[in-house]
Amino acid sequence: MTRYGMLINTKKCIGCYACRTACQRQNGLEADIDFIRYEEIERGTFPVVGLEMVPLQCMHCEDAPCAKVCPTGATYVTDEGIVRVHEERCIGCKYCMAACPYQVRVHNPRTGVVDKCRFCTVNASEDNPMCSCVEACVTGARMFGDLDDPESEVSRAIVELDAHPIMGDLTKAKLFYVR
Amino acid sequence: MSEHAITRRSFLAKSALGAAAVAGSGYIGFEAWKQAHADETGSLQRAGHSLCNSCSSKCGFTAYTRDGRLSTMIGDPDHPYCDGTLCARGYGYASIAYSEDRLTDPLKKNDAGEFEAISWDQAYAEIAEKIQSIIGSDGPQSLILINDPRPSGSYYTKRFMNALGSANVYTHGVSCNMSKNSGMTQALGAADFTSDVANAKMVMFLGRSYCDGIRPSSVHALQKAHENGCHVVMVDPRYNNSMHFADEWIPIRPGTDLALILAMAHVLVKNDTYDHDYVANYTVGFEDWAARLEEYDPAWASEITGIPAETIERLANEMWEAAPQSSIEQGWRAAFGCAHQNSGETARALCLFNTLLGCWGLEGGAYFPASASAGKLEDPKFAAPAAPKEKIIGAAEYPVSSSGMGVSTYALSLIPEGKVKGVIFYQSNCVAGYSNPAQLHDFVAGAELSVAIDVQMTETCQACQYVLPDTSYLERLEVPEFVGGTVPVVSLRDRVLEKVHPNTKPVDEIFSELAEACGVGEYFQFTVDELADAQLKTVGCSLEELREEGTHTFPEKQLKYALKTSWGTTDKKVHFTSEACEKAGFPASPGWLEPKVTPGSGEFRLIGGKQAIHTHTQTANIPALMEITKKYGLERIWMNAQVAEEMGIKDGDEVELSSETHTGVTRVHVTNRIEPTSIYLPSHYGCSVEDQHTAYGVGLRQMDFVPFHIEPGYGGTMSQETLVTVKKVGA
Repeated sequence: MTRYGMLINTKKCIGCYACRTACQRQNGLEADIDFIRYEEIERGTFPVVGLEMVPLQCMHCEDAPCAKVCPTGATYVTDEGIVRVHEERCIGCKYCMAACPYQVRVHNPRTGVVDKCRFCTVNASEDNPMCSCVEACVTGARMFGDLDDPESEVSRAIVELDAHPIMGDLTKAKLFYVR
Repeated sequence: MSEHAITRRSFLAKSALGAAAVAGSGYIGFEAWKQAHADETGSLQRAGHSLCNSCSSKCGFTAYTRDGRLSTMIGDPDHPYCDGTLCARGYGYASIAYSEDRLTDPLKKNDAGEFEAISWDQAYAEIAEKIQSIIGSDGPQSLILINDPRPSGSYYTKRFMNALGSANVYTHGVSCNMSKNSGMTQALGAADFTSDVANAKMVMFLGRSYCDGIRPSSVHALQKAHENGCHVVMVDPRYNNSMHFADEWIPIRPGTDLALILAMAHVLVKNDTYDHDYVANYTVGFEDWAARLEEYDPAWASEITGIPAETIERLANEMWEAAPQSSIEQGWRAAFGCAHQNSGETARALCLFNTLLGCWGLEGGAYFPASASAGKLEDPKFAAPAAPKEKIIGAAEYPVSSSGMGVSTYALSLIPEGKVKGVIFYQSNCVAGYSNPAQLHDFVAGAELSVAIDVQMTETCQACQYVLPDTSYLERLEVPEFVGGTVPVVSLRDRVLEKVHPNTKPVDEIFSELAEACGVGEYFQFTVDELADAQLKTVGCSLEELREEGTHTFPEKQLKYALKTSWGTTDKKVHFTSEACEKAGFPASPGWLEPKVTPGSGEFRLIGGKQAIHTHTQTANIPALMEITKKYGLERIWMNAQVAEEMGIKDGDEVELSSETHTGVTRVHVTNRIEPTSIYLPSHYGCSVEDQHTAYGVGLRQMDFVPFHIEPGYGGTMSQETLVTVKKVGA
């Protein structure tokens, strides 16, 4: 089976927001619809200071709480492990927004749909150039691939860099963070 | 041109409907255009190659369109500045083409001070009449032009002004890198070196942050340096975003970088740890500087900079231990591009410190990029107008300023006394950004003729009598852009979108047609396509080939590391002493020069600086970028956490910020990422133009707090020579 996942190395994230604007361009999103949100964490006291930027987006959970609470089945998980939204089935009830522990479901006030990261980068290839977050990242902080293939770049990096889901086993998230 | 087929098909097919909807205007408006495209869905089409315009790096990218609208953008791997990735601004700023705030017609200010649309013919005729009248009464030197250089803009503005007989073509330099480049030129006879960051053992940055003022290839180099174990030092009043790839933060009081450099040089000279061979063979005046440095020991510098003396001593020794694979990076606007009274001298001292390291031209040291340029064009129609005999206004008064940039603010200050009568701006929001906006507005508004050419209404446009609507950068071909690097290239800004607003015109057409109206049309008897092709043929390429290729590299001109032994100075040597500086009132070799103002009790120095999502005030009206600002409160000022606690100020509080020129209210970001004597105000906000519906009223504008003044000798705008107080609102 193919089971897609992503790695985000926060040690490489400079907080430049390129992934956000590239994602908006790639997915034709309006300026206020952001599939990626950021937590900036400042540590220490002047002059001994540390800084971490953590980009958060749909974790494509295997145990997706947003899908479980969706009354119309608009949010569902594909065979490849990608959490998707049937736009025409979404009634905009926002249950998913309340259920998501990562607060990454985004209500579009114009369409009424509660949208989110689509793992669109799965479609990127030489013949289909994309500026999705993975391709656009200035520092190469992101990787995408098949978690079920132990030889995939992302699988090996998760092991080598000791990457973990942001909240452990909570939802069987498929975004892995190096922090 | 076949790549434009899709955009043209969909555009023309619907534009007839759109035109009918806008009765009498003769072209389709934005709303009609938007409606005409609303119901379409189509496949992705490669629209071609172009160059970004969201900052002056002008990164190369390939544009893809869907139904004629810009979609995916892919950074060009061969372009030396983008190196395969674009920044947040690149993706966001591209929406300027469709901005609802675009200028769509030529405008003229009426007696009530309101703009009215006029025809291009009327605009050209009236502007030309005034230009000719001014030349007739006061001569061509009473005309000035200010532009933020872009490929076509640089070519056409200079050609136009020179054809009229004026030497007064200015860049935005006074508010960018004027002091830096001018100071470096005094030492080296050249500016704009590159620290070979990726291959260095140690690099020190003074205020510049590659990860905030982003040029992607520079970020890549810094990241590589970090991964290679290079010792990266960030000297900055703020813990900037480049700290992700740095080893230590040295918080410094702004305006005191010169003291740090002098003290580090003192350490090297005192310890006799400098490149004696290099100094002996390729420099002049070392003894003068060595003698002057004696008084600048680390203890002295510590008092001024706030950096412990032992840290200064250690950094100097570590730089020497790493030499020649070490250097101080050149900076840009940041700490001494135009910031303080001592900025030019800081840049000069920086070059001399690097000279002690013997790093010039070597791998891991600091090099001057390999370059390429177009050859001479044989066809007489491209012959340049005769160079004006007089010098650019300001060259005499600011004798060590770079005449290639020019002291535009000084030239503007001559308007009230009638020495300058006409001013033209091309892609320059001078009024909001070059110095105090109220003062600059008054200067411009007092001119006999004032014209601004831009894509949206700006503070500068508002001060002018005439406003001419430019096409966006995505809608036009420009003159080829030659870019230096380890491998130099030529790249092309090309049209990847059909014109959105039919009554806008590209810069080449505007200046060619205005020249015709002014009676100097003989210098503009060619199209930009013909010019581009002719330039490219001189380097073994062609317009057709470059359109396909996007970026054409010159591998035969690749940089070769070698000790640099010949310089651009008159005697080909590095100058520890400068006669020109001495004549301008500076010491022969750089010594300590105080900033103009220094904060006392209860006062702070107001510092500016870029955020990764904005370029000056140019991008603030882009919704995709301003939404980030609003969501994360990026318009807030920064205040040191300890200071805030003492003043009873909490994160997010509303505060009143006051200087001698301005008072404004904003929110505060309380942080440990800034040293205690500084307040940081991001340089992108406080737009006062209501027609910029996204940017208007968000945050404060840095330059409102800065008085109109000019750095002696060097001409910089001294953007950080101002003191502010902070008061909690309601307290």
